[in-house]
Amino acid sequence: MALPLSYNWRNLLIRRTTTVLTVLVIAVVVGVFSWMLGFRGALSRSLSVAGDPRTLIVLRQASTSETNSAIPPDDYNKLTQLNEEIAVDDQTGDQLKSPEMIVQVSLPRTRDLGATNANVAVRGVTNSAFAVHRNVKLLGAKPADGAMEVIVGVQAAKQFAGLAIGDTINLGYGGNRGYRVVGYFSADGGPLESEIWGPATMLMNAYMRNAYSSVALRLKDNVDPAAAIRRIEGPGIELTARTESEYWQEQTKNIGMYLMIVTFLVGVMCIAAAFSIANTMFASVAGRSREFAMLRTIGFTGRHLLTSVMIESLLLCFLGGAIGCLACGAWLALVGNTKDMFGQSTFTTLAFEIHLTPLIVGIAIGAICLVGLGGAIVPARRAARTQVVTALREA
Amino acid sequence: MLRLTYVYRNLTRNTRRSVMTSAAVALPIVIFVLSTAVIDGITRFLDNSARQLRLAITQKTSIVNPLPEGHRRKIESLDPTGTRILAVCGLRWIGGQRENDPMPLSTLGVDHDTFVEAFPEHRLDREEIDAWQRDKQALMVGRNTATQLGWKVGQRVTIMPSVPPYTPIEFHIISTMEKAEDVVTLWFRRDYFEEILKGEGKEYPEGLVSFYFVKCGSKADMDHFRQEIDRMFAGTLDETKTSDEKTFMNEFITQQFDLPRNLTILSAMTVFVAVIAAMNAMSMNVRDRISEIATLKALGFSGLFALALILAESLLICGLGGLAGSLGPYIAFTYTPLRKINIPVIQTFEIPFAMCIKSVLVALGIGLLAGAWPSWLALRMKVVAALRNLE
Repeated sequence: MALPLSYNWRNLLIRRTTTVLTVLVIAVVVGVFSWMLGFRGALSRSLSVAGDPRTLIVLRQASTSETNSAIPPDDYNKLTQLNEEIAVDDQTGDQLKSPEMIVQVSLPRTRDLGATNANVAVRGVTNSAFAVHRNVKLLGAKPADGAMEVIVGVQAAKQFAGLAIGDTINLGYGGNRGYRVVGYFSADGGPLESEIWGPATMLMNAYMRNAYSSVALRLKDNVDPAAAIRRIEGPGIELTARTESEYWQEQTKNIGMYLMIVTFLVGVMCIAAAFSIANTMFASVAGRSREFAMLRTIGFTGRHLLTSVMIESLLLCFLGGAIGCLACGAWLALVGNTKDMFGQSTFTTLAFEIHLTPLIVGIAIGAICLVGLGGAIVPARRAARTQVVTALREA
Repeated sequence: MLRLTYVYRNLTRNTRRSVMTSAAVALPIVIFVLSTAVIDGITRFLDNSARQLRLAITQKTSIVNPLPEGHRRKIESLDPTGTRILAVCGLRWIGGQRENDPMPLSTLGVDHDTFVEAFPEHRLDREEIDAWQRDKQALMVGRNTATQLGWKVGQRVTIMPSVPPYTPIEFHIISTMEKAEDVVTLWFRRDYFEEILKGEGKEYPEGLVSFYFVKCGSKADMDHFRQEIDRMFAGTLDETKTSDEKTFMNEFITQQFDLPRNLTILSAMTVFVAVIAAMNAMSMNVRDRISEIATLKALGFSGLFALALILAESLLICGLGGLAGSLGPYIAFTYTPLRKINIPVIQTFEIPFAMCIKSVLVALGIGLLAGAWPSWLALRMKVVAALRNLE
């Protein structure tokens, strides 16, 4: 029979100061770790939902993003050649390709009451955009034909000021044309939710553009995206294309690098926590050699003792982990869980929300438990190897 | 002397614990040093921007919208004497990459006639300036980029711009900017780019710049023209947003990952972790030595002696941890290939020796905090009660 859990729990309570301090160390590490996981998760989710493998983003060759790409109407028309590749609208019979124009508008952030501004993407679209970007769902009205109206992604509406339904925002090259917000749209949490959408022709006119920025197109189910991209880049068309997911991954490379640095630093923190846990467990084991000898005498095996010490370490980690996750949740509730990042190539802002999901809590606590096991293994083996006679004699 | 020996003996009584506590302090100090180095780099970068007495001008509605090149003359006309506005330089971003190489380049076309005066921190020598003025295809390459790409002065290189006309542009490298603070950016003449745009025969927009930088004579001139410039273009199609260069750069940095804020929070957390971890170890030490401390007191040693012993031990453990935690990154980023690492915005990553000293002081502060409570307990310890508890 293994040692009862209450034995481990009471051991921790006896060494209150050490237990509290070790739990605090673990809580801080887990708090930071879970925030980082939340951030990474929010960003990945935002990018992965954009990853429709059947949607291609066509750009001008040599351009790095929609922001610096220009596709004149003549070049756009060349895409009509892709009869075999582009899916067709069942009702109209038109190719599912959406010419789009991207510009930016500087808008105040709501989270700091407008103290700072963000560069928000304004996308000029046609009706076909809603057929190509299948995850886009209208939540309210759509801009009326010929009207100076726009719809706003739900993340943009939350995080940037002046985007409530009925508000008017100034767009156009000189920022002198008022567009009324008539509705919202969602995009399964993807990057499009950080944008403002309006009628392409009117916005192109307002921004004095005569070229599209990009073309989003939907491939037929049996078409290999790589082959379609080769055709687009070939001599007949001479544009370039990426799948939607590849495109968004590329645009947020800079964010990935920052996350890598933070992950490394949190990893270093975890190692420091492991040392602290090991210290605690060594002290706990060293102070109980007589107790372990007694346990061995009454029939508990070395394996029982090893498991018992490991369980104590796990209890510490679990407790610290739970407090850390709660603290992280409280921090997000207090400071706000909205974040936005600047895509280095797009020059636009990607807005998202950090949520502490059960998965993140599980990973954070699971990871610290592994760290705890790592820290406790040597002292636990020492406990398991307790020599009964020697320990009792020393005591 | 006796006391020092005693502290040393205490330190080596449980070597494993001392080493692990030192390590639990050293690792957070590593994070502290790296974070502080990045924050310091950003601060240095921003302070340098502030020292340059430059204004940055963008299109009011968005940083991405370009401004017409005609704005330059209008801005210059605000100071006919040329003593308050020293130089107005238009910059055109073309990004770019080498053919068949996805690595993005940071390439900027500039007004060649005002560039040298507007950006004196590039410290170009006479020969470089002459070559720059003489050769329309001149390209100056930040030295780290040049090293990375294996580019040398005198070489002809081709860059594919990320903006119209999207066709390869050939340049002559005239400098690798050995004395410049910017070690990444590539600079070329905007007039050459305009010539290419005209030669394309397509309807690409010409005569546009991404930003203007205005070199002013004094801080007062900066404040004056910051408002004057925006006032001059107010109500036009090309309204401007003028800010001092430090504000402009800071806005750009905070939009990326808000590194200064996030790293400050992270390093504060890590210092907290170190304090708690060390405090934990010191309280375990004191608990293990209750009888010894009680005996010392019974023999006539004062409570202050016990306090000093524990504090000294804590300071020593944390100080050693701090030394290891700061010297590690210092050596790595000063004497190994890591010193050439490029960090966006701050470009060169540098750990000054003064930062190591600062970090050791932080570690000693950690030691002081960690030892405070256990040593206080030792100071207040009642001999009889302590000895009775042990029985």
